[in-house]
Amino acid sequence: MKFSYNWIREFVEGLNCAPSALEKLITMKTAECERIELAGALLDRACAARIEAVEPIDNSVNVKAVVDAGRYGRKTVVSGAPNCRAGLITVYVPVAKKKIHGVESDGMLASGFELGINRDHSGLLEVDLQEGTALAGCVPDSIIEIDNKSITHRPDLWGHLGMAREVAAILGDRLRDPVRMDLLPRGAPAIKVQIEDFDRCPRYSALVCENVTVRPAPLWLQYRLSAIGLNPINNIVDVTNYVMSELAQPMHAFDADLLQGDTIFIRPANPAERFRALNEQEYTLDPSNLVIADAAGPIALGGVIGGLDSAISGKTRRVVLESANFLGSSVRKTSAAIKLRTDASMRFEKAQDPANTVRGISRAIELLRELSPGIRIVGGVADQKRDIPARPPIDLPLDWLERKLGRAVDPAEVRRILERLAFGVVESRPQVFSVSVPSWRATKDISIKDDLVEEVGRMVGYDSVVPQAPLVPSAVPHDNRERRFQHQARQIFADQGFTEVYNYSFLSEDVVRVFGLDPATHVRVTNPIAVDQALLRASLVPGLWTNIAENRKHRDAFRLFEIGFEIHKRAEGLPDEIPHLAATLYDRHGDGVDALFEAKRAAECLLPGARACPAEARPFEHPARAADVTWRGETVGRLFELHPSLVGTGRAVVLDVDLRSIERLATFETKYTPIRRYPSSAFDLSVIADLREPAGQLEATIASLAGPLTESIHFVRNYTGPPLAVAQKSVTFRLTVGSPERTLSSDEVGEIRERIIQGLRQLGYQLRV
Amino acid sequence: MLDRRIQELESGSLARIRSARSPDDLEAIRVELFGRRDGAFTLIGKEMGRLKPDERRRIGLLLNAAKRNLEEALDLKKRQFADAELSARLDAEWIDLTLPAPGPRRGHLHPMTQIQRELEELFVSLGFTVLDGPEVETEYHNFDALNIPATHPARDAQDTFWLENGLLLRTHTSPVQVRGMEKLGPPLRMIAPGRAFRNETVDASHEHTFYQLEGMMVDRDVSVAHLLYFMRTLLAAIFKREVEVRLRPGYFPFVEPGFELDIRCVICGGTGCAVCKQNGWVELLPCGLVHPNVLSMSGIDPEQWNGFAFGLGLTRLAMMRHAIDDIRLLQGNDLRFLEQF
Ligand SMILES: [Zn+2]
Repeated sequence: MKFSYNWIREFVEGLNCAPSALEKLITMKTAECERIELAGALLDRACAARIEAVEPIDNSVNVKAVVDAGRYGRKTVVSGAPNCRAGLITVYVPVAKKKIHGVESDGMLASGFELGINRDHSGLLEVDLQEGTALAGCVPDSIIEIDNKSITHRPDLWGHLGMAREVAAILGDRLRDPVRMDLLPRGAPAIKVQIEDFDRCPRYSALVCENVTVRPAPLWLQYRLSAIGLNPINNIVDVTNYVMSELAQPMHAFDADLLQGDTIFIRPANPAERFRALNEQEYTLDPSNLVIADAAGPIALGGVIGGLDSAISGKTRRVVLESANFLGSSVRKTSAAIKLRTDASMRFEKAQDPANTVRGISRAIELLRELSPGIRIVGGVADQKRDIPARPPIDLPLDWLERKLGRAVDPAEVRRILERLAFGVVESRPQVFSVSVPSWRATKDISIKDDLVEEVGRMVGYDSVVPQAPLVPSAVPHDNRERRFQHQARQIFADQGFTEVYNYSFLSEDVVRVFGLDPATHVRVTNPIAVDQALLRASLVPGLWTNIAENRKHRDAFRLFEIGFEIHKRAEGLPDEIPHLAATLYDRHGDGVDALFEAKRAAECLLPGARACPAEARPFEHPARAADVTWRGETVGRLFELHPSLVGTGRAVVLDVDLRSIERLATFETKYTPIRRYPSSAFDLSVIADLREPAGQLEATIASLAGPLTESIHFVRNYTGPPLAVAQKSVTFRLTVGSPERTLSSDEVGEIRERIIQGLRQLGYQLRV
Repeated sequence: MLDRRIQELESGSLARIRSARSPDDLEAIRVELFGRRDGAFTLIGKEMGRLKPDERRRIGLLLNAAKRNLEEALDLKKRQFADAELSARLDAEWIDLTLPAPGPRRGHLHPMTQIQRELEELFVSLGFTVLDGPEVETEYHNFDALNIPATHPARDAQDTFWLENGLLLRTHTSPVQVRGMEKLGPPLRMIAPGRAFRNETVDASHEHTFYQLEGMMVDRDVSVAHLLYFMRTLLAAIFKREVEVRLRPGYFPFVEPGFELDIRCVICGGTGCAVCKQNGWVELLPCGLVHPNVLSMSGIDPEQWNGFAFGLGLTRLAMMRHAIDDIRLLQGNDLRFLEQF
């Protein structure tokens, strides 16, 4: 929302705070200012000038004009405007001399656009003024832009008067209200109004005027609107926009002669009712939309936009002025449904003050009398409304206020602050103010005493509150074991050379299919930012896969990991979000083997004693290099090489573990077992097995044969080659046996060894002895 | 006569030992002197048998002294050879320690992880519990329970990713406030760091996925002064020095009064730069006193309890701390970026 400093100044008596200082005060006490822009910089020295003669310039569309610029004297300027003709009175601005097409131009002739008065850049601004005179009411202005988000709760700040009230309260100046309610005509209205839904339209005021002359508004008014970003159209429409910008009350003008019947209806739209709006779009409505209608059909979409068929035109002689109040949520819903936000809908959404409708009309009457001389008001104001009971005053206990703010404020100051903001203050009980809320703050903004804390706090200034440590018992916070474990896992992987990535939670259907998954099992975003981000990830692996593709442009080998949520669809309620750790090792020149064992080693750093159990490969896994990772008897993850066809050049290995299961299986208590006192004995066994028989399985077999005196079994080496057959290998294990109670005799050790050897032979294994 | 032979043998042998060139030379001398069959000392010992007992004793003493001297000389020389050999062997093991160590380098934790962890530790030390909440939320937790009903215009400001079944991706970490109040009850101190989502087009300063740290304290008589105290403590710890802060009005439906907390720009010190858009202050975190509606919706009596809440933009903080000028780098996962942290 843009505010004109000059406009605000009209309402704040004796305002002598410069715009930049004012901007800071508004930011600190009311709403966030985003920037200040200078409007109408050229207007400072602009004056009316008569073009005396025009000569063409060779080889140029521009012409050379000699103008009488009053106090600036006779000047020669170059202009490219099509309407640059002798006898025209336009605007001269004494800018620095410059050569254009070989002709020295001493100053410039300006269009309305160049001056900032309107958006017309088709030609020179044509004025009806004496040479040398300045443009009345058009001087440079500072435009203060306020962040709309910071005034969503303040319906009154969507007009200059509301901001002026803040400024006056901040500076202690007097506020001048531009509205003269005595201008409202009395008597029977010349039009009937019938509200069929008072919830959605609590008030509708209308007034008929005749003998209207439609023409451009005066320059000062066009300039006011342009400076705050509105587009001047004609005097009638501009008046409605002017009142809206001033009082935050959106208004509309209908061509009365184009309305059917004598009544304006405010009613829900009929199903599939069609409506042609001023923006020349046609909308199909439904009963959730509130329309303004005449006997023939909708003439406006309530609170959003007027209709094209009853629009003001050059032929308009009679107008109906509308100044109404609509339910914010209903306007917001309609505006969202038809994807059209207008200056009106933006204001109504914020819950405007129903008391403001007739104020808008009286202000419009005053302006129309000036802008359309000869205009006649017909009858009184048609004003349908529901009774809006005044809210009861709010009790504000002063000691409570002090406890909330964390500082004391003198009761007299509390009163002064609130009264300047137009609150009514009565000390109903000792140390308790009974505060009545002005109508424009009562619609939504202020309803409880907490809201008043803000009013007092911001005006005394939060910088006056001294930071203070609370007096509360100290307590050990609840432990978050999951998160602590995740941080540990992060550190372990970083220490093992893995760099952490953060991938988005979104995946494309294509990627999901590449990984052999079904898009239908994924949670779907109904309004994705792009089609390739429509699904929520149910695996972290696709993200790492894309990270590999990007990073291998710059690196031959690297390790990455991520901790994030897999999001799994559930039939009911929230999806299941499972924290996972996924890690990858990529090597352009590797064969995948070292990487697989590095990944396995990293897994063991996180999960001491974890095992890899060969498992059937999924489509995106190397068909002969995939395993489940088991830990403490449960499958907690997966170790595999990505299918080489997914990787192209080089090899990539992935470890993907479920942190929720791991955290559940983890024990955080360790109980000591005594260190063995008697020496143990070790011996090696070399078993000949099929090449693809997992060593882990052999180890398990040996362990089951070895019996209770086994301390450990360690893999020593694998051997293939002569004298073994081609499809065979020899696997050597070192067994350590012992007893906690005594030293085993060599006979006992020999017995264990023999038992294992016999057992293995019975299972069909040969041993190399 | 034997006297002289012993003397000559000793002095001659000592000279030979000293000039021996190798352990082999030394061994040959040792065998010559002490060989059991025909070593010089063995032979002299045999001759001594012919002497008279007195003479034999005297010569025996002489012989033993000479033997001891020679043995010592042999040992010394032997040690010298061993030392020289060890030195030579070790010297041959020279290695170029300027070569890089093999194996992978230590990896890097994401800057967001680092800042988040630091803040978690800080808040835990101040008695705050760290809570987690889901990334997929219900409309109730993300909006309604935070005093943002469906008709509220503030919903427009939070471009929401909607999912099937009316669920959504949380637009802020604030729903964890609600979950925290439901789970812990008053009094409570909690933070909730995490990922949040807005349906925004990504460019150098906008992301659809970003990180926040939500914080809340509910107790008796929590005031703006307490909020300011915690925020200043927090920021001093983050920036490792006192930071000048200011509170100004800000509108967030779940707090009343609501504030924007600005800090004096740490890049330029307040004189104005691109980071602070030339105004010397950087908007860092929205905060405020918890709206009574929010408390009562979570079953906490606002007449008995109140509190403050804040939402710290971790993404913004990480960018400020590391002078990162493009938000997309944080989730671009480019090692050339990540390896800098
Ligand atoms: Zn700066």
